[in-house]
Amino acid sequence: MVTREDVENIALLSKLFVPEEELDGLTKSMQEIIDFADAINNAPADGEGFDNINNLSNVYREDEVVPSYDCKEILCNAPEQAEDHFLVRNRE
Amino acid sequence: MGTISKIHEMLTTKQCSCTELTKSYLEQIEKSNPELNAYVNVTGDEALKAAEAVDKKLAAGEEIGMLEGVPMTLKDNLSTKGIETTCCSKILTGYKPIYNATVWELLQAQNAVMLGKTNMDEFAMGSSSETSYFGGAANPFNTKHCAGGSSGGVASAVGANIAAYGLGSDTGGSIRQPASFCGIVGLKPTYGAVSRYGLIAYGSSLDQIGPITKSVEDAAIVFDAISKQDERDSTSKGSSEETYSKLDNDIKGLKIGIAREYLDGVRDDVKEAVLEAAEVYKSLGAEIVYFDLPALKYALPVYYIIACAEASSNLGRYDGIRYGYKTAHYNGTHDMICRTRSEGFGEEVKRRILLGTYVLSAGYYDAYYKKAQDLRGSIIRSFNDAFENCDVILAPTVPMTAFEMGHAVSDPIETYLTDICTVPVNIAGLPGVSIPCGFNAKGMPIGMQLIGRSFGEATILNAAYKYQQAAPDKFMDTKWGVKL
Amino acid sequence: MKYELVAGFETHIELSTKTKIFCGCTTQFGGEPNTHCCPVCIGLPGTLPKLNREVVRYAIKAGLAVHGEIAEIAKMDRKNYCYPDLAKAYQISQLYAPLIIGGYVELSNGRKIRLHHIHIEEDAGKLIHKHGDTYVDYNRGGVPLIEIVSEPDIRSIDEAKEYVERLQQVMRYIGVSDCKMQEGSMRCDVNISVRPEGSEKLGTRTEIKNMNSINNIAKAMEYEFERQTDLIESGGKVVQETLRYDDASGTTSSMRSKEDAHDYRYFRDPDLVTINISREEVEEIRASLPELPAEKFKRYTEELGIPEKDAQLLTKYRKISEFFDEACEGVKSAKSVSNFIIGQIFRRTETEADKEQFDVAVKPKQLNELVKLLDSGKIRNNLAKSTLEKMLDSGKGALDFISEADMGGVDDNALLELCKAAVESNPKAVEDFKNGKEKALKALVGNVMKNSRGKADAVAAEAKIKELIG
Repeated sequence: MVTREDVENIALLSKLFVPEEELDGLTKSMQEIIDFADAINNAPADGEGFDNINNLSNVYREDEVVPSYDCKEILCNAPEQAEDHFLVRNRE
Repeated sequence: MGTISKIHEMLTTKQCSCTELTKSYLEQIEKSNPELNAYVNVTGDEALKAAEAVDKKLAAGEEIGMLEGVPMTLKDNLSTKGIETTCCSKILTGYKPIYNATVWELLQAQNAVMLGKTNMDEFAMGSSSETSYFGGAANPFNTKHCAGGSSGGVASAVGANIAAYGLGSDTGGSIRQPASFCGIVGLKPTYGAVSRYGLIAYGSSLDQIGPITKSVEDAAIVFDAISKQDERDSTSKGSSEETYSKLDNDIKGLKIGIAREYLDGVRDDVKEAVLEAAEVYKSLGAEIVYFDLPALKYALPVYYIIACAEASSNLGRYDGIRYGYKTAHYNGTHDMICRTRSEGFGEEVKRRILLGTYVLSAGYYDAYYKKAQDLRGSIIRSFNDAFENCDVILAPTVPMTAFEMGHAVSDPIETYLTDICTVPVNIAGLPGVSIPCGFNAKGMPIGMQLIGRSFGEATILNAAYKYQQAAPDKFMDTKWGVKL
Repeated sequence: MKYELVAGFETHIELSTKTKIFCGCTTQFGGEPNTHCCPVCIGLPGTLPKLNREVVRYAIKAGLAVHGEIAEIAKMDRKNYCYPDLAKAYQISQLYAPLIIGGYVELSNGRKIRLHHIHIEEDAGKLIHKHGDTYVDYNRGGVPLIEIVSEPDIRSIDEAKEYVERLQQVMRYIGVSDCKMQEGSMRCDVNISVRPEGSEKLGTRTEIKNMNSINNIAKAMEYEFERQTDLIESGGKVVQETLRYDDASGTTSSMRSKEDAHDYRYFRDPDLVTINISREEVEEIRASLPELPAEKFKRYTEELGIPEKDAQLLTKYRKISEFFDEACEGVKSAKSVSNFIIGQIFRRTETEADKEQFDVAVKPKQLNELVKLLDSGKIRNNLAKSTLEKMLDSGKGALDFISEADMGGVDDNALLELCKAAVESNPKAVEDFKNGKEKALKALVGNVMKNSRGKADAVAAEAKIKELIG
């Protein structure tokens, strides 16, 4: 059972605001999707589990320095920046 | 038809210059894009610059590769340095990457001429391209119908001859389904065959980049060019064999399997077309075997649980700090981030983030995410077993033909169901190619897919090519775009 | 009622690999803001992590050094939480299959603090808060960390301090981290609870986050111990929460607001593949480890006869112990070597940083030569001491200050003559000694030493003089 509280909690975890008036609708729609997902509850798994698609292991980088990017490039997409930092003003 | 080989021949025999060719594509984009909405960003200047470089080479009498100078497009979730890459989401508006996706690097090295970035469902979440912040892409066969999704823009552009080919991404069918809807070819490679570096992630363990083309040969040419092992993607292996040179291999004795579950709930016209294709294969000397794949029953919920869980994590980074959209008014950092995300993401994306968060959250992880992973293992092993008895699996790509615009957005679950035939391949990480196999009564294309063993692209493309040779009338061109 | 403190530590240690854990950017401390960054470590959409092989090796080294079991299969997980210093909104870490299981740190009182596990993960960037605004620098984002998670085995503040010091010492020995708490390359979260002495049941714990000096750890734990004890004594209940320690006020306060729901939704990172560690590799790494401080301590005290207190000083830093080991080669008395180091050389390395560097003018080989001269009786202790001072001033060897004549020694006849002369020329001292002034004897011996230019055996001289005066 998906409750309003569940939806409020996962919205907070997801950093999304759900307006009060949409909460009931969203709870219902989430319930429908979860009902759909519940199809797997009784599905028989063969118990061997899953690791990764091609069963790859030990893919590494060597510890060699690669030049970093210019600070200007790093910051070029920032909505706001100051003193070579990404800036988050407290309010706007 | 504006295929890669045709364009290559025209360029090398100097029937036209690359600049002339590029200009005619750009003109046609200008003419038809208002109706198709295939492109969300046309990069004419860059395209002409790339074309000029090819012309110089040609003028100097140098040899050019198959993909050199061929006008193409990229789905807008592939990172292109200095060129806006939005995933068709408000939250990434204005974002210009500072690096290139590996696939784009590989194609650029071959002097590909990129005409622009194409439309898609927001963050590749959808089946009609209508969740795009820029509105849906139309189907070249009938613009009242959608082009499919999520790589709807690429399919629309290639189907309408305003790109010779394009690269899309496929998480649960996003290459094959729009290719099927638009009557063209779409290849979803084996997971790991093509580097994901620079593909803006939706479901990382499912995502693969692949070509959408007008012909099977073109799909093979592009796949061979992009299927390289990449140092930057730990899950990338590259492809071990060339596919293009094996297209015309004899398929006598090839065992083609049909899983009964794949035909359940499929519309009659689609089922008929697929079974007719099976007859064509028989006539080519292939053997048709029927079998059961009961694990498919759970594929759809397994897919949605895994894809949404990964998406909820992948999409956490859009917070208005480093790139993209940021809300105008807020009070405090937490408020800023929540407002930015609430305003920047569309409804479907938010729905999937919430679902993904839910299935990973304390108390639900075992019942949903972990269970889905276990079932994923079972599904993989069922496919392995199936391939003990056949070489290729034949199935419909989509249970229906392209729906009308506005239809897909009405009911999320019903829309999810349209992915039933495509998602198993992503869950199992297998290669699948969709090719046209007929038309319905309204003249809309029907597609079928050929599914292969892991890294078995050569086999499925070979089988696809043989069908294309035997049934050329299924590969029908549209009235749009550049006529070569 | 008396209360007992129960504490467990989560210690984050930055590994001193050249590059970050998932990209080729440098891990160097400092640097202008956002200059040690690339698309991967600022989490640009579409980028992918690639694991630094050396991080795995360093973590295995660390694991072996604290007696942990190295897992055969390890995996990377995502820990999801949204905060401006975390560029991807998840930290790549390990929960379900960490690299190292178990292990322990042994304290000087003989108690073993058990470890739960050690895992590898990436560090977050740095936030600077100015006038309510937040400035973000991602230079530190993606620097490799190991997190060492202990069991709640610590029972006192002294044990806590020693636990941290031991970890610091051993990690520096094996060279996986500089463990500089002031630079943040070692940080501790302390889980602390109290219970009535003798009780077996664990009390409700609080977690004090991110402490960056041993002093603060001690002060914060002391405060928290008092606070919890008072709370329980006055009938209250400890609330499980995360605390921040404020150095200025010396108090702890709650860190979380209701905005930070904490449910990390850990799941396997699909971008990274399985880590398979062969037993051969583990053995190879084990063989490459230097002798660890605990092993050295045991050897110094048990085999070389060094007092425990001195052995502790010698083993505190790897460079000192290596100096000592080299200077000891082939000498009869390791104790002399130790005494020279602790008594004289330490005066030239006053700060802890100097001791850690241990960059002194005298090379271990030179001290070794000096001690060998002493061993063979060619020179006496006083001469050796004064010579070492000259060596420390100049960087020259012992033989630059000791002549052949100095090394002649003083035979019995010569000693008798010297003693006679001392007695004859100092009647006052002789008189004083006869009147019971023991000190006067020292003056007479001093005279012999002076006239022999330090070569005479002081003990023998004293015996002779006593004989002469009767």
